[in-house]
Amino acid sequence: MSRIGVFVCWCGSNIASTVDVEKVREEAAKIPGVVSALDYKYMCSDPGQNSLRNVIKEKNLTGVVLAACSPHMHENTFRKAAVKEGLNPYFVEIANIREQVSWVHEDKERATAKAVDLMKMMVEKVKRDKPIEDVRVPLNKKALVIGGGISGIQAALDIANGGVEVVLVEKEPSIGGRMIQLDETFPTLDCSSCIMTPKMVEVNQHPNIKLYTYSEIEDVSGYIGNFKVKIKKKARSVVEKDCTGCGECWNACPMHKNVKSEFNLNLSERTAIYVPFPQAVPLVPVLDRSVCLHFKKGGKCQKCLDVCGPKCIDFGLQDEIIEETVGAIVAATGYDLMETSMYGEYGYGKYKDVVSGLQFERLLSASGPTEGVIKRPSDGKTPQTIVFVQCVGSRDPEKGVPYCSKVCCMYTAKHAKLFAHKVHGSQSYVFYIDIRSTSKGYEEFVRGTMEQDGAVYLRGRVSKIYEDNGKLIVKGADTLSGNQVEIAADMVVLATGVIPKKGSDKLAQMLGISYDKYGFLTESHPKLRPAESSTAGIFLAGMAQGPRDIPESVVSGSAAASKILGLFSKSEYEVEGTISSVNEATCVACFYCQRVCAYNAISRKEIKDRNGNVVKVVANVNPGLCTGCGACVNACFSKSIDVKGFMDDQIYAEIKSLAV
Amino acid sequence: MKTVLNEQNRRNFVAQVESMLHDKLSKCYQCGKCSAGCPVNFEMDYTPNQIIKMTELGMEDSVLNSKTIWLCVSCNTCSTRCPKGFEVTGIMDVLREIAERKGITSKTEKEVQMFHEVFLENVKSHGRIFELELVGKYKLKTKHLFRDMFLAPKMLEKGKLKIHGEKISNLNQVAKIFKDFE
Repeated sequence: MSRIGVFVCWCGSNIASTVDVEKVREEAAKIPGVVSALDYKYMCSDPGQNSLRNVIKEKNLTGVVLAACSPHMHENTFRKAAVKEGLNPYFVEIANIREQVSWVHEDKERATAKAVDLMKMMVEKVKRDKPIEDVRVPLNKKALVIGGGISGIQAALDIANGGVEVVLVEKEPSIGGRMIQLDETFPTLDCSSCIMTPKMVEVNQHPNIKLYTYSEIEDVSGYIGNFKVKIKKKARSVVEKDCTGCGECWNACPMHKNVKSEFNLNLSERTAIYVPFPQAVPLVPVLDRSVCLHFKKGGKCQKCLDVCGPKCIDFGLQDEIIEETVGAIVAATGYDLMETSMYGEYGYGKYKDVVSGLQFERLLSASGPTEGVIKRPSDGKTPQTIVFVQCVGSRDPEKGVPYCSKVCCMYTAKHAKLFAHKVHGSQSYVFYIDIRSTSKGYEEFVRGTMEQDGAVYLRGRVSKIYEDNGKLIVKGADTLSGNQVEIAADMVVLATGVIPKKGSDKLAQMLGISYDKYGFLTESHPKLRPAESSTAGIFLAGMAQGPRDIPESVVSGSAAASKILGLFSKSEYEVEGTISSVNEATCVACFYCQRVCAYNAISRKEIKDRNGNVVKVVANVNPGLCTGCGACVNACFSKSIDVKGFMDDQIYAEIKSLAV
Repeated sequence: MKTVLNEQNRRNFVAQVESMLHDKLSKCYQCGKCSAGCPVNFEMDYTPNQIIKMTELGMEDSVLNSKTIWLCVSCNTCSTRCPKGFEVTGIMDVLREIAERKGITSKTEKEVQMFHEVFLENVKSHGRIFELELVGKYKLKTKHLFRDMFLAPKMLEKGKLKIHGEKISNLNQVAKIFKDFE
């Protein structure tokens, strides 16, 4: 015989103002099997929890129903209180009479009736609850970090320094990501490579980090604690362990024209065998087979091999698939810059001296195509007047994206500042809509660009850029004085918006994590779980989640790392017990459940006799992956699969309770 | 209105204003607090913050011919309240001075301009204000002889208007200030 206790919470006036809590309590007391019904102002408070515990003890309850706020809020609180009195945590049920009743209704009488109904349903459910044990999943204490930019590097180093093995996979020939392309960083103006290269080297030398560059994730399967990852190591044509990075090969390569350097964003040329930049980690070249004469002309050219001391160039190397088993994954795939082709009026691509922010970054950089001397791409002259245009693509729902790219205000201010420092007597104009400079030292930095470095800021957008007599004529608006403004510039820098890295959506699908309509990876909770993805064991870091600057990327990398170290500090991972279970006696192995499962949690299981012959094939639920969503329950024809704690008889009893 | 920015002209104008102002135009971040509190804003063609921006952009003709610079009563509400400590009142003074030196006559605010001229003459000859002479000369110049005439007895009664003007003792020092300035 059930002995149920019902506890009705007022939640101050949150519930009590719209729901007659005393009526709910009275109605509860009338239900057969309910031995105790109480109401209290704040059930979640210490006295509230104590009264719950006392009643469980005194009345020897077999189940508890709380008519209170959403189970998202305090289910855990009440479960823990019940466990202390020896009750299985799953004998605690919540009737949500706040979010689903008091907050959304006005009519007190009808709201009370609804609250009573919800409470009754939960009483019938709890009568039929069975004890459920949480599932424990073993953990492979090794982590995979996807992306070798600043956030990926930070995550890898933090995990590795915590004594855990890390596999770092980077698509490009070198780690460093976008940050290593930058010149100096706002707001402190320390040079990007000066602060980045020590970290890159540390990654390369770390005994706990296994680094795969020029590699991509081919496949991911498994679940938290036990991910099976296939990594495609693309054919580098250079044997990494023998290469000394001497540079003879790329100096000898005859293909030094017409191949644009990706690292310098097409502002310079590279050879077929190349390192993207001098401080590359690892300092091992990659042979680009799509342009190499050896591959294009049937093996004739092998000048690089001829000069190579250790003879580590191997034209026959093939793509290699490496398999790793890891317990957790960090997705730090980074970002790309938006195309600006939709702004024909800005002439990007048409006029050589209209460049993107990242291209200007390369022009400023000492390791860039101009060795840090600002020269126009068209004629190599040093520009005297530069117009910077902010929000190109950002905050433009018509042609670009509606979101703010966050870093452009700051990097434009930095560009104008560095331009003033490098070219004395020069002048920069910045067209902006709003200045967003919200972190430590940022506002002061932007003001400094205006007040000390003389950049003139104009509030308004640019409508058109055209060439006239060797000058770029920029037509814009200054909404503060209410004027149309025309400026003759030597160069124009477009602060193009950021978008997720190309292919990050494919990777997200492979990982089984969600992403938003732009392709940015979404957090499990935007505020309270910012480092976790929607899938257990997969964490997020850096710009892959959305626009952010370097400090924030570092923070997010560290956050993901600390989450993983926390996860790995336990011997096993506990999963809520409310997951699907298969009745193997009735399962007919149609595998409809497998088809509808969004988490790849269902697999085939063969039941064998003692001789090893397969007697029956049934569906099998992987507890590490199952989230208890219930899709398989709906799909099952033979009613052989159920979510624990949400069994058919419980649901029917809930419905029947309303019919009375 | 369309403005073609000529960089050299812009820089020259900004440099001229800033050297007279002893303040930097780029300090202004266009919050508009000056305009919000300005008691004569409703009569102005450009708000005070617009004047600052236009000066920064080198729109010399527009600012020097604006009503705003002559309508400013130098009450200092703007400068007192400016969060950046910018000399808003000061820029009006500077622009009036530049306009005056260039011989630009305000088309709409002639009388204000005349008042300024008479006022300075008065200070130059007395070292301080002699109200009766100031009013007299102003009325002769503007030919509004009888305007506000009925205020005179009241002001006399309260001792606000003196029949005899007084000069300060070291008038030569005031003369020096004027000389330095010119």
